[in-house]
Amino acid sequence: MDPEQLDEFVMGYLKKKGFNGAAKQLQEALHNNNNNNGTGSSSSFNSTDYHNDPELTKLIRSFSQSENDPTRYRNGYSNLRSWAYNSLDLYKHELLRVMYPVFIHCYMDLVGKGHTQEARAFFNSFRKDHEMIHLRDLQKLEGVLVPSHLEEMEFARSLRQSKVNIKICQYSYDLLLQYLHRTESTLMLGIINEHINFQVYSGQPNSSSDDIDAVTIVGSFQETADHVNQKEIQWGLLEDSLEDRLEKTGSLLTDSEKGQGESKDGDVDDSNKKRSTEIGKQGSSLKKLKKDKAGNATAKVARQETSTVSPAPRVKSELALPVMSTDVEESILEDLRNRVQLSSVAMPSVSFYTFVNTHNGLNCASISHDGSLVAGGFSDSSIKVWDMAKIGQAGSGTLQGESDTNDQVAGPNGRRNYTLLLGHSGPVYSATFSPPGDFLLSSSADTTIRLWSTQLNANLVCYKGHNYPVWDVQFSPFGHYFASCSHDRTARIWSMDRVQPLRIMAGHLSDVDCVQWHPNCNYIATGSSDKTVRLWDVQTGECVRIFIGHRSMVLSLAMSPDGRYMASGDEDGTIMMWDLSTARCITPLMGHNSCVWSLSYSGEGSLLASGSADCTVKLWDVTSSTKLTKAEEKNGNSNRLRSLRTFPTKSTPVHALRFSRRNLLFAAGALSKPTS
Amino acid sequence: MSIVPKETIEVTAQSIGITNLSPEAALMLAPDVEYRVREIMQEAIKSMRHSKRTTLTASDVDGALNLRSLEPTYGFASGGPFRFRKAVGHQDLFYTDDREVDFKDVIGAPLPKAPLDTELVCHWLAIEGVQPAIPENAPLEVIRAPADNKIYEQKDGPLIDVRPPVKHVLSRELQLYFQKIAEITMSKSSPALFKEALVSLASDSGLHPLVPYFTNFIADELHQLMPSVVTCLVSRKLGNRFADNHWELRDFTAKLVSLICKRFGNTYHTLQSRLSKTLGNALLDPKKALTQHYGAIQGLTALGHNVVRLLILSNLEPYLSLLEPELDCEKQKNQMKSYEAWRVYGALLRAAGLCIHDRLKVFPNLPSPSPSLLHKGKGKIISAETRKRKLSADSSQNQLPHKRLMTTTDGLRPQDHTGPAPMHVDKPMGKKGNESESRHQNEKERGKGRVITMKAILGQIWKDDLDSGRLLVKLHQLYDDRILPFIPSTEMSVFL
Repeated sequence: MDPEQLDEFVMGYLKKKGFNGAAKQLQEALHNNNNNNGTGSSSSFNSTDYHNDPELTKLIRSFSQSENDPTRYRNGYSNLRSWAYNSLDLYKHELLRVMYPVFIHCYMDLVGKGHTQEARAFFNSFRKDHEMIHLRDLQKLEGVLVPSHLEEMEFARSLRQSKVNIKICQYSYDLLLQYLHRTESTLMLGIINEHINFQVYSGQPNSSSDDIDAVTIVGSFQETADHVNQKEIQWGLLEDSLEDRLEKTGSLLTDSEKGQGESKDGDVDDSNKKRSTEIGKQGSSLKKLKKDKAGNATAKVARQETSTVSPAPRVKSELALPVMSTDVEESILEDLRNRVQLSSVAMPSVSFYTFVNTHNGLNCASISHDGSLVAGGFSDSSIKVWDMAKIGQAGSGTLQGESDTNDQVAGPNGRRNYTLLLGHSGPVYSATFSPPGDFLLSSSADTTIRLWSTQLNANLVCYKGHNYPVWDVQFSPFGHYFASCSHDRTARIWSMDRVQPLRIMAGHLSDVDCVQWHPNCNYIATGSSDKTVRLWDVQTGECVRIFIGHRSMVLSLAMSPDGRYMASGDEDGTIMMWDLSTARCITPLMGHNSCVWSLSYSGEGSLLASGSADCTVKLWDVTSSTKLTKAEEKNGNSNRLRSLRTFPTKSTPVHALRFSRRNLLFAAGALSKPTS
Repeated sequence: MSIVPKETIEVTAQSIGITNLSPEAALMLAPDVEYRVREIMQEAIKSMRHSKRTTLTASDVDGALNLRSLEPTYGFASGGPFRFRKAVGHQDLFYTDDREVDFKDVIGAPLPKAPLDTELVCHWLAIEGVQPAIPENAPLEVIRAPADNKIYEQKDGPLIDVRPPVKHVLSRELQLYFQKIAEITMSKSSPALFKEALVSLASDSGLHPLVPYFTNFIADELHQLMPSVVTCLVSRKLGNRFADNHWELRDFTAKLVSLICKRFGNTYHTLQSRLSKTLGNALLDPKKALTQHYGAIQGLTALGHNVVRLLILSNLEPYLSLLEPELDCEKQKNQMKSYEAWRVYGALLRAAGLCIHDRLKVFPNLPSPSPSLLHKGKGKIISAETRKRKLSADSSQNQLPHKRLMTTTDGLRPQDHTGPAPMHVDKPMGKKGNESESRHQNEKERGKGRVITMKAILGQIWKDDLDSGRLLVKLHQLYDDRILPFIPSTEMSVFL
């Protein structure tokens, strides 16, 4: 288009709109031989060189074709919408997928052009269509009313700058284009061209609409995610772990157990005795066993292939792991030997710790690995630790008196049966016990992490590094190292002996809300308010996996004991099971109707327990959900719900869950008065 | 436009001292204010989630403001709910009700009670996958998880508030306790143990959840219980010692029997008929001792005036003729026998009196001074159909004059009641037993003042109610003036 033609368009437009003064001025300016300075006839014309800007040219042309009328967006969108809804069912879901990006970009266009009122009216009239899937995004966008907000808001900016990837079959694509051309809805066509990147494939449309792809809107992000997920990860268990050793020493026994089928608890007890004697004999030769482990490995694999679960590969630790004292080692081995085998028919016992009289101040709860210590973090900056063993001893006054003498801050009457830990200067958001239970870590809104000794009942170290509230902190499975995550959008790895972080993991687009260690200690997973879960390599600090699929902020994470799977729970009550190697969601577990605060795998990984704000503990059969993936591939349709049991509490949201090493499930929560 | 009206911006500007804010500026600011408020609220929601709560509090907003290095809001962290008041004259303007507090009052006020300290309690939420029925867990019905598909259906369908029926959950210990007690009671193998059990039942605390079960048990086993109760009523001899006050026991038992009939008559239809038959037989057997007769009379009296009319009044004449010689002090030398005879006479008098009193109560609208009596009278009416019809007819006739008369009665009463014991029949029933005791001793002094009016009374009653009149006459023939105290004073007043 040559400049003269463009000028004429502009003149025509101004006259049509009744901007006579401006038109005159423009004419004068044109007469002044391309001296465009100070023309300023209207805000959109403020640019000094609109002839050479292709975007502007396009814009002006669109003006010239029809009026710059905000209702065009509404009409265009509403026509496209009714067309999509009336299309054939076969192609409908693919076409409907186009609607959301068109909707938000229409809205942002309207806002960008300053039609605040029309933008809001448009938003409110079509909002309902997308609330199901995109509620959180809509809530964010709703506040955008002024063009400057579009610039300021990170989310809106990323939407504007990137394209959405939509997979669509050839026929649907043709249908869409035909419609757009036939109806001459250039506005919609423009938006679609500008913001959607179609990945057209031949053949029939996918019968099951893949929710996961529909949720993600940020195209470039998807690409990076795909790229990141190509990286190789070693999700296997650590070689020479205690479980490993136990398996070896008890190999004879497992064979005999197989012969008996499902052995009863009594049998297990008997066999445990046998085992312990065996261990006693072999105790001296344990070290030797370690060395020729490689030789045994093949034999072990052969044995395990007969069982249903294929063995997890063994990997070497990339961290220098702390040396465990033999006492601790023995007690863990003892626990593992006494572990109750759980399955969909053998359910665990659940012991529930209820906090009463918290006055709505309990922010977090944590249970030690053996369930004997329970810590609560409160909004008044305090941490309270209960020793259940002491409470269990008939609560005699003398005993409590003794414990009180050790108290850092003993109450005036000295009748408290918990240990009060004071040190933070803001609400305590998370607490975690070291595996043997000798240390406690807590994180707070005061941006610090504090290390406490549960034996001395005193604060040992204060770790400063985060710049904003630290939402979560977790000890590594072997202690010594710990990971934290914060509002500052980073996760950090620390070791107990250094006050500076060892690694900083940056990459999340919003708060990092929860963190969890992989059983082999080489990776950590983080859940974020940007609705993704990421897996990070601890050694390199790189992001190695991005898991996309949640529709709201991720609140809880758990790793399966074999290191192959991960579960994540979100604000809406959805739990997702992920395969770490493929970064794909195996199945969403639906059932909770409020925030999932806590998740925990049973010791052998057959059950997943989830605790929620809806005052229930649910047990999920995850062996079937992993097995069913193959069946799903075949028939493509299966019952995705595998909830085994629901245990409602009276009126206690479940804040924390932990399977002990013996597979007893501990749960904790604060009693809250039901709102009538 | 923005949900924040520009008036809000103007008012806020004024409140911080900006008086020259142009309307255009306010209009421009409004969308930005909304945006900022939304931003802060989104941060506050994050803070709420990390505090593991589902309700947003002022402290969450403060936390969000803190993240942006803004000053927190002051004065909202007390934790109590806010009271918003509507501003007068404005439709959508609200303000928080912030009362002025005098420091003196605050300092002078006694210290509030310290809040309870946080505690940790432990219970089994599930044992090997099964939730035990303990008070700490939610009621059992809720536990049954809906079928998996249903969860989806419920989400889609309209929200219906389905309330599970509340079931009485009895702990295992109480169940065992109940079983043991029932067993001991039924077998009666070990009296010592049974006694212990009764002591435990009487004194142990925490048995209240079992009350409905025991009530049910007693109802079921009533036929076993009844004979012993009736024994207390019509046994020849009660108690080992001569001086034992068996009269009182019989009176009490009579009341108990009527209570049982009332309570369990519905489920145990033959109870009352069987009981009245037993008692009637006891009464009409001349070979039985007088004490037995007394018990029978008391028992029948307690069962209501219908029973009295059928079983006592119909046999009153022959019975009294039998009793006559016993009453006479000259003829009956045995003082004990004489006393017993008078006792029986008193009981008969009371029975007849109550009966006639109830008949006369068909005057309904007399403002009876004692509602308790009226209530009891009503409870006794079993086949009140015909009575009620009469009642309504009578009431329409007599209502007005009675009301007028009542006012005069009150004034007259003091002169009327000259006797040493006030004979208000309006007294609660329980006292009548005692009253009747004393009555037969003082009867001669009594009623003298009313002899004159007696004839008039009878006349009026004939007029009012031929049936009850006839009864009254009969009773009067048998008892002379002794029946008069039973006629309610209000009824008597009719003739004054």
